[in-house]
Amino acid sequence: MMAEEFEPKIVAFLCKWCSSAGSDLAGVSRMEYPSNVLPITVMCSGSVSPLYILSAFNRGADGVLVSGCHPGDCHYIKGNYYARRRIALINKLLEYIGLEPQRFQMSWVSAAEGTKYTQIIKDFVKELKPLGPQTKLRKDL
Amino acid sequence: MVNLEDLKKEAKQILKDEKVKYIIGYKKGVNGLMPVPAFIKNPEDVDKLVWDPTCVYNLTLFIVDEKRRKAREKNPDERPVAIVVKGCDSRALIVLLQEKFIDRKDVYILGVSCENTGVLDEKKLIKKLKGKKAEKVEFDEKDNFVVFTQEGKVKIPAEEILAERCLECKANSPVIYDVLLGEKVERNINNPFKSLEITEDLSEEKKWAFWKEHLDKCIRCYACRSVCPMCYCDECVVDTISFAVTADTSAEEKAQKIKWVEKSPVSSENFVYHLVRAIHLAGRCIDCGECERVCPMDIPLRLLNKKLEKEVKELFDYDAGFDPDLPSLISCFKDEDPEDFIR
Repeated sequence: MMAEEFEPKIVAFLCKWCSSAGSDLAGVSRMEYPSNVLPITVMCSGSVSPLYILSAFNRGADGVLVSGCHPGDCHYIKGNYYARRRIALINKLLEYIGLEPQRFQMSWVSAAEGTKYTQIIKDFVKELKPLGPQTKLRKDL
Repeated sequence: MVNLEDLKKEAKQILKDEKVKYIIGYKKGVNGLMPVPAFIKNPEDVDKLVWDPTCVYNLTLFIVDEKRRKAREKNPDERPVAIVVKGCDSRALIVLLQEKFIDRKDVYILGVSCENTGVLDEKKLIKKLKGKKAEKVEFDEKDNFVVFTQEGKVKIPAEEILAERCLECKANSPVIYDVLLGEKVERNINNPFKSLEITEDLSEEKKWAFWKEHLDKCIRCYACRSVCPMCYCDECVVDTISFAVTADTSAEEKAQKIKWVEKSPVSSENFVYHLVRAIHLAGRCIDCGECERVCPMDIPLRLLNKKLEKEVKELFDYDAGFDPDLPSLISCFKDEDPEDFIR
């Protein structure tokens, strides 16, 4: 029997107003992209607490994606700017404790960018595959 | 140099004038060298106050306690509380002011300047004395400490026994004060993030090994959280216990109360706890080093906070605890914030 290829699990926090609609667009346009993503719709990328991200890794995510509106496009005017600051810090902190930096990504995807969304997922999966499962922060109870 | 008599005189005066409720300061400890926090209500007790290089504690924690106590009182005494602060502690007060947790009129700040030195690291001193027992440590005219032992006094260059954080200190004299004792001295620190050098340059695997080794030791006593003046949330995300389950609690309510972190001191949960704490302190931690000092397992917690302090400085050019009128880091942004990591 052939060894099964490792399929990474990605948790994606998608902004309801843009990225989530973007992923919908990719779906209704029948674009093909890997099925490794578990999308979670949030009201704004700015509402993504660092705890959501750590918790996702803790419950076994191999990669976490936070996606929001392009700067200037936020439904709540400035939520994505707050997100940008916060996520930059989490990024640096995760890198400092030795988690592979590829495992955590942030992107700007608008509701019209279905293609960009599929591309981001494709790239993300491609980068995660050689890394193997994420065991560092995974719950080992 | 700070004249202790001046401090006592000032303290006595404000107590006599009934300007303040009480004074939070340092007094001689009952067990050996290190002092203990003092809460002085009567002018007669003012002579108990001490100020020397052993005054390492960040007393602003008690301002946080005071606010809680006041909130529970029916007819609270509205007078301010006087507090003795070093440069670093005064920055903690500024963060609390910035976040509107306390009001400027709630505190009367007796600032003491560390001038060219700072406070000592007890462990370093013990090592340095090689078995001799220190009874008293005093500041000296220059960059030395005078250590009194049973066999007489020794002069030790301050930098040999200074606490790590004092070697990287950005505020050797109080930033905010009502009364300043000692002088404001310009001191140049060429590398304020020196302690990070070793861990930052490690490879990814080594970094992980380093943190895993240390954080695996954590027994989750939460001493770091208890001692931190910035950890003042009424409800902490790591405490699932704070959700009271009563007869009226519906199943839905129970289901919606998310348990973010398990209590068990295992690696994965320890990481979540410490990373969340570090992130919550980003742009707020003023590097008083108390978390590391109280840690019974000797986890280098300061490095986590210091790392974020560095990133905050480099990414957003933000220094915590210098301007009470500035919004806090996470509640503001700039158009030109870096976004090169975003796809």
